[in-house]
Amino acid sequence: MSAVDLARLQFALTTSFHFLFVLLTLGLVTLLVVMQTRFAITGAPVHERMTRFFGRIYVINYALGIVTGVVVEFQFGLNWSGLATYAGDVFGAPLALETLVAFFLESTFLGLWIFGWGRLNRWVHLSLLCLTALTAFASAFWIMAANGFLQHPVGHRVDGDVLRLDDFGALLTNPTFTSALGHVVFAAVTTGGVFVTAVSALHFLRRTHEVDFFRRSLRMGVVTTALATPPLLGFGFAQFPVLAEFQPHKTEAAPLLGLPLGFMILIGTGLTAISWLTLPLLIRDAVIRLRFPLYLMVIGIPVPFAAALFGWMFREIGRQPWLVYGLLRTEDAVSHVDASQILLSLIVFTSLFVLLACVDWALIARAVRRGPDVEPAPVSPLVVTL
Amino acid sequence: MDTLWLVVLGTLTAGYFALAGFDYGTGLLLPWRRRDVALQRMTPFFLGNEVWLVAAIGVLFAAFPRLEGELLSGAHSQFTLLLAGLVLFMAAVQLRLWWWLVFTGALMVSLGWGLFLVHLLEAPLPVALVMPVLFAVHGWVFQQRRWALFPVTAALCALPIPLAFSSIDVTGLMAHQDTLGLLARVAIPVIPLVVVLQWSIVALSSR
Repeated sequence: MSAVDLARLQFALTTSFHFLFVLLTLGLVTLLVVMQTRFAITGAPVHERMTRFFGRIYVINYALGIVTGVVVEFQFGLNWSGLATYAGDVFGAPLALETLVAFFLESTFLGLWIFGWGRLNRWVHLSLLCLTALTAFASAFWIMAANGFLQHPVGHRVDGDVLRLDDFGALLTNPTFTSALGHVVFAAVTTGGVFVTAVSALHFLRRTHEVDFFRRSLRMGVVTTALATPPLLGFGFAQFPVLAEFQPHKTEAAPLLGLPLGFMILIGTGLTAISWLTLPLLIRDAVIRLRFPLYLMVIGIPVPFAAALFGWMFREIGRQPWLVYGLLRTEDAVSHVDASQILLSLIVFTSLFVLLACVDWALIARAVRRGPDVEPAPVSPLVVTL
Repeated sequence: MDTLWLVVLGTLTAGYFALAGFDYGTGLLLPWRRRDVALQRMTPFFLGNEVWLVAAIGVLFAAFPRLEGELLSGAHSQFTLLLAGLVLFMAAVQLRLWWWLVFTGALMVSLGWGLFLVHLLEAPLPVALVMPVLFAVHGWVFQQRRWALFPVTAALCALPIPLAFSSIDVTGLMAHQDTLGLLARVAIPVIPLVVVLQWSIVALSSR
């Protein structure tokens, strides 16, 4: 394999792993805001315990997701120095805004939320979680703005052999950005819904004593999925006219590229249908007494993650052979580094990320199994004791 | 505007080494200390410390686009070691995995920075040990709560890499004024805000 192929494979693998973490982080934080808001308003202990239980899972996932993000960020410079050299003035702006306004602040608010548990006024503590969620979605906003530029470069002028930023507003009204942002946001919320549903279903299958707790979270998960999937589909299909205009030959960029697209659409429509069919079964807890649907809910955990990866495959492979569509070819952007060095980093990072994903899975599974009540942790109830 | 961005990058880089330096130092000293106490003491600072690196690299990319790629890809293997170490270290600390993984991760990160320093200065290989030694001393000062010494060791950790950077001539490597001006409006208020908020985390956790 050439350096370009190896660098592409590495980016695809590391970013995919990163996105799995991101998807759950964004989805869970949205549901956590709802849980903690309910607690702040009612003061009912069940909402506080729910926030703590799912908050712990969220913190585990965030802690590991952050690590994958650092590697992805470095990779632009390590393997794709041609991108920064050529388009850094334009592409770098949303990327830097993501690290500064969104991520830098997000992790700080999250830290305050973690260590402020039980030490701050209820409303102050809630607003910290809201700020964490807001900055998390701001991250998605800026990353999608940067990606939208790669799909359909706007707001720039050519100056010698580099691009200059001409109109920042154009980056933010770029149709390939605006149509995809909503899709990504609702994909994350759907994932959060499916995940919370599955965790609750698992506890019912294990004959939990926490009936009230998991009954509430199950309903919340199902309702969230049902509410998030129609706009998810809507934003998905709304991208086809944009594609027809700016990347008309997308499906021809690689053989069989229609396949991931097809799978994604199948999963999306399937989830929409199933979640709406489950809604009436929530009446008198039919869904829990039937038991059979609970198995499907647990098995369904990987489904939204798979769909999201299929979606990214279609979007990114379909952009080839361009890195910046129509302006910079992928092969011209790769760093002047030996293929063997890229192979080494590919092996190192991929094996580490596989390990991280397994650790994440194992730790989340353990936190889920232990249920809502665990002994108080040393630093904060939100940090797991192992 | 150019000077401003050099200051911003310098602040973020120095901030990263001054803060994350004692994390890595704590990790390096772990075999010789009470491990749970040492990790416990570091925990409230940890996430806040490490994110300075992410912010610094973001600024490097956007404000110095023609430097970032060359700098990172020119030291590909050093950064591979460093990042692999960072992955292990951050995961092991935050999730309280095995202590030897914390130690190994910290060693890989600090050696990675040492080798990067060697690469920048074209210095002999043993110079790479400077960073692990400085981090270890800084970590010891932090763990012993020798607050009078803390600014000294912090400065010692913070200085080598930014000083080595200063030998690079950035003319022509920076982004255009239009990009820099736009980003300045965001970066300038955010950095002090983050500093204040990070202080509050520490204050809160020690209450």
